[in-house]
Amino acid sequence: MTTSSNTKPPWELLSRGILSENPIFRLALSMCPAVGISTTVMNGLMLGVAVLLVQVFSSVTISLFKNQIHPRIRIPTYTLTIATWVTVIDLVMAAYLPGAYAKMGIFIKLIVAFAIITMRLEMFACKENATDSFWDGVGMGLGFMVGMVVIGFVRELLGSGAILGYDVLGFKPLLFFILPSAGFFVVGLMMAFFNWVELVYKRRKGIQL
Amino acid sequence: MKDILNIVFRLTASCLMAAVVMGATFIFTDKAKKHNEHAREERTMYRLLGYGEGKPVPSTLALHQIYRYVITEPGRQLIGYLVPTTNAGKIGYTLVSLDLEGKMADRKTVALDVEQSREKEARDKAILAVIGPGKEIRFADHTIVVTDNGKRVAYLLGGKFPGFKTFINVMLALDQQYTTLGLEVLENEEDPGLGAEIEKDYFKNQFKGRTVDVLKGLQVVKEPLPDQYRQALEGRLADADVFRIMEQFKDKNIYALTGATISSRMLTDGLKGMVGKFVYRLDILDRVLKEQKIAVSF
Repeated sequence: MTTSSNTKPPWELLSRGILSENPIFRLALSMCPAVGISTTVMNGLMLGVAVLLVQVFSSVTISLFKNQIHPRIRIPTYTLTIATWVTVIDLVMAAYLPGAYAKMGIFIKLIVAFAIITMRLEMFACKENATDSFWDGVGMGLGFMVGMVVIGFVRELLGSGAILGYDVLGFKPLLFFILPSAGFFVVGLMMAFFNWVELVYKRRKGIQL
Repeated sequence: MKDILNIVFRLTASCLMAAVVMGATFIFTDKAKKHNEHAREERTMYRLLGYGEGKPVPSTLALHQIYRYVITEPGRQLIGYLVPTTNAGKIGYTLVSLDLEGKMADRKTVALDVEQSREKEARDKAILAVIGPGKEIRFADHTIVVTDNGKRVAYLLGGKFPGFKTFINVMLALDQQYTTLGLEVLENEEDPGLGAEIEKDYFKNQFKGRTVDVLKGLQVVKEPLPDQYRQALEGRLADADVFRIMEQFKDKNIYALTGATISSRMLTDGLKGMVGKFVYRLDILDRVLKEQKIAVSF
């Protein structure tokens, strides 16, 4: 594996994952599990935390061992690394954080197949140092979490008339929003919103479109 | 060739490292995980029996586990019940085997203590050791008989049956007359926000207070859940009001979850089957235990 030395400040790596390269709204990765689960704010938050943990541990591991990974088997190695961390986090949480595990257990096991994690290992961690990979992992994990919480908020409010399980509307305005297909609908709307924000930002800054 | 060997070596090394990390984590966490699972199971059981914060578990209450096995031997199949027995005040275990007509076929003392009996592997090994070679066993389910001062007060049944997506794993509490005391959905993979609502109080508590005869005839109806009933199911009213409303609805059908009628029906049918079979099997087991004068702890 080749290495590069374009070290960036942590805040830039963090904000990139949350805004300009948000895994859901900008990169459109890991959409199927995301829309399948994000029916409530709490589900979104739990899956977000689980992805954050696995992303950070996997990114740092790949970054540390990047010179020992043969280029032809890098994808199997990434999958193995992600699966190992998913298993470790699953076992540790089940043993020492049973309360949190009761809520998050199902989400953690889902993460092995998340494209966003593999993509960050391929695009970033296998080229950069461990510190940058850590911040990139945190940024991407937070970006995913923010995306999931926002989608969960819209879907829970419109589908169940509730927020964080508390009935706020007293009725279910659009049950359709609970269904997985509506997840894509919400993601589409959010993508349009992000594109619009980017457009406005660039216009104001005088950046050529 | 050199490249292939290099890849094989690196991939093998990666797999070994992953195995070491996962294995070490498993060794360090296994005991705590099992302890948590057992504690969680116990909490669920006591909650279903009505104990918890504000109502401590009495010291006279005891849980007696019965494990049911299917024993296959050449030419016939038996149903084996691993039951706790008392001998000079000490708890031991006896495997009571019945033929498919419910008649006593065999009886063996199994060398197990209470702690070992909770571990499936230790249990299976001890049973295989006493039934002899050439036979196979398959664990079917387990039931808990609850006694207070030696008198039976309730039963806790574990069950797993098909849902809309995959399997639904439940624990059900019945009183000594087989009326439902409570239901807990332990695991399910139904659709979040739709079928997964089976674990919510406003759905699962609809089964509370149903006698075995009412339960057998329960149907699922696609009607809106009355608001007052929902409040009672969620425990948002005073105890007296909850009791009054639950009494009004105790013979009514189950209100289906909005957008998840199949999940509602699968759970209802699963419980009906579970309770029906349990009552039938327990009657047979009790008769055999009495006839054979087996000194069970319950």
